[in-house]
Amino acid sequence: MSDPAVPVSPAGDADNTADTTRIIDQGYRSYDGPRTGLPGAVRSVVRYSVRHTLGLGRPARHKILPWLAVVIALVPAVVFVGLAVVLDVDLITDEILPDYHQYYGFITTALFFYCGIVVPDILVSDRRSGMLQMYLSTPLQRWNYLASKALAVALTLAVLTIGPVLFLLVAYTIEGSGPDGFIEWIKIFVRIVAAGAAISAAFTAASLAAASLTDRRAFASVGVILLLWGSGFVTLALVEAADMSANIYAFDLGGISDEFKNRIYGVEGIDPIGGGEPEPDDDFSPGAGRDSLSTTFVAVANMAWVAVGSAVVWWRYRRLALSR
Amino acid sequence: MDESVPQPQTEHRNGTGRPYAPRVSIVETQALTQRFGATVALDALDLTMQPGVTGLVGANGAGKTTLLNAMLGLRVPTSGSLTVLGHDPLKAGQRLRAMVGFAPERNVLPDEMRAVDFVRHLAEVQGLPRSEARNRASDTLWLVGLGEERLRTLGTMSTGQRQRVKLAQAIASDPKLVLLDEPTDGLDPVQRSEMLTLIGEISRDFSINVVLSSHQLEEVERVCDNVVALDAGRLVACGPISDLVGAGEGITLELVEVAEPAGSVGAVEAALRAAGLDVGRREATLALRGAGFEELCDRARDAVAAAGARIRRLDTRRRTLEDLFEDGAR
Repeated sequence: MSDPAVPVSPAGDADNTADTTRIIDQGYRSYDGPRTGLPGAVRSVVRYSVRHTLGLGRPARHKILPWLAVVIALVPAVVFVGLAVVLDVDLITDEILPDYHQYYGFITTALFFYCGIVVPDILVSDRRSGMLQMYLSTPLQRWNYLASKALAVALTLAVLTIGPVLFLLVAYTIEGSGPDGFIEWIKIFVRIVAAGAAISAAFTAASLAAASLTDRRAFASVGVILLLWGSGFVTLALVEAADMSANIYAFDLGGISDEFKNRIYGVEGIDPIGGGEPEPDDDFSPGAGRDSLSTTFVAVANMAWVAVGSAVVWWRYRRLALSR
Repeated sequence: MDESVPQPQTEHRNGTGRPYAPRVSIVETQALTQRFGATVALDALDLTMQPGVTGLVGANGAGKTTLLNAMLGLRVPTSGSLTVLGHDPLKAGQRLRAMVGFAPERNVLPDEMRAVDFVRHLAEVQGLPRSEARNRASDTLWLVGLGEERLRTLGTMSTGQRQRVKLAQAIASDPKLVLLDEPTDGLDPVQRSEMLTLIGEISRDFSINVVLSSHQLEEVERVCDNVVALDAGRLVACGPISDLVGAGEGITLELVEVAEPAGSVGAVEAALRAAGLDVGRREATLALRGAGFEELCDRARDAVAAAGARIRRLDTRRRTLEDLFEDGAR
């Protein structure tokens, strides 16, 4: 099968290279070297899944939606930085542009879009094609396969939730409008990372849960969109129109994760769209009433979304039969 | 090298001078039973698979895929025990699966992925370092005859090429055992022949044990060293193929249908049955078993003479895998 190393004498330089030049063509052969085991398997699945969701190495049509989400999240930040440079004013202090925590309004739009359209494919395609069976015939087990997929989704979502705000922080800092002093800078940095990770975790768990329940990508997308938007409308209606307890907001994924982000930034009662403080007389403004929830309640509700979403995925995959 | 893998009891070399895999059984089951509700997919199987190429044969629904899934630890048997390469798939599944390559029957290839990327990805998942996986993906695709096609996306490949890609990903990580579920499914006769040749070469030249699931008996006879035959979850036969099939199994008597006397073939058949022989008939050809060669010839001669029939051919009969299933059905 395999050719042995063959000495070669390239024309014109035969005397100098005849003894040293080899064509290395060993062909298929046995392998007794080190093996990476489970960590290597997880790394490979995460890398492949990230590339798959971002459309890398795939035809152009698969790149459009994920990169559109990135553009939606990032372009406003680029515009703000441009304005800061051109206008030469402290835009945040002068309240001309939203603060870091208020930028999440743009990110939320991108997140909803990404979770609804792109994320379901990461689980659904493996089940439909049979790749899941291929993966589970390797050292991967169900739980570490799912953990790999969740990590891949969380990482790509983190690009949306952390990337643009981090870009704002760095750009403002360079431009001279950033936080005052190193300690303040670190505080903002930690808040950006923590808030981005929290939002990313909740959205990852919820969207994977919806995607695990059906083998049809379109149905999964509808499920994710209903979960994200529907939960917001229903809880808002229950609290505002039916005058129920504000604790109902725990069932609003977008709202509760946004509120958790506000608590991480140390602000309360902020309209998630980024419109500033709610009007006292506005009885039907989104976000109004969430400020009455305790920070512990908000944190637990956010973690509950992660836990319940993970439990649904695990329940579904434990029951999943693999053979034809 | 994994120290836990059973070591050879006797050294045993192939055509390239390299030792074969350990000369102990690669798979052993004891009373292995798998039920799905009222359906018994595997019925108290006691079998042993020896190194080399083992054919797992049976009709659709015989339990072949269920057995393969159990060997990978993807199914928890209802009862009984199973070891693969000396490991219990349920207790040491992760360790075992790192040593086993698998090519499922289903079409599992992501259409948009290039062949070399697919093979490399699964080699990495199987535990190869990234650079090694990249090199071996190309080498393996060259081995299966897809070297020039390795950069093509899988969706643009023919069925035969996709079957070869599945084989390539199964062997890329240099496993000790490869499980191939219907690897010739969907192939034309030429492609099927090439695939079987390739499977034989992989086992012989690289000392990789192969379990080849198929419902095509002639495929198994052609390429396999051992056979495990299943019928509706029951074990029909198990052992070296040379012991189970071959020459010396009765005679074949081909007669000429003549107008006068009419029905002479039927008369010969009836006479031989009446003599207590085991007679199979396909048109004007009778397969005779149940006595020694000379006695069969004598009885055939007498029956043909009595019926006024004419012989076109009389030959020693070769026992086939089909006979195993017929015997099992009786």
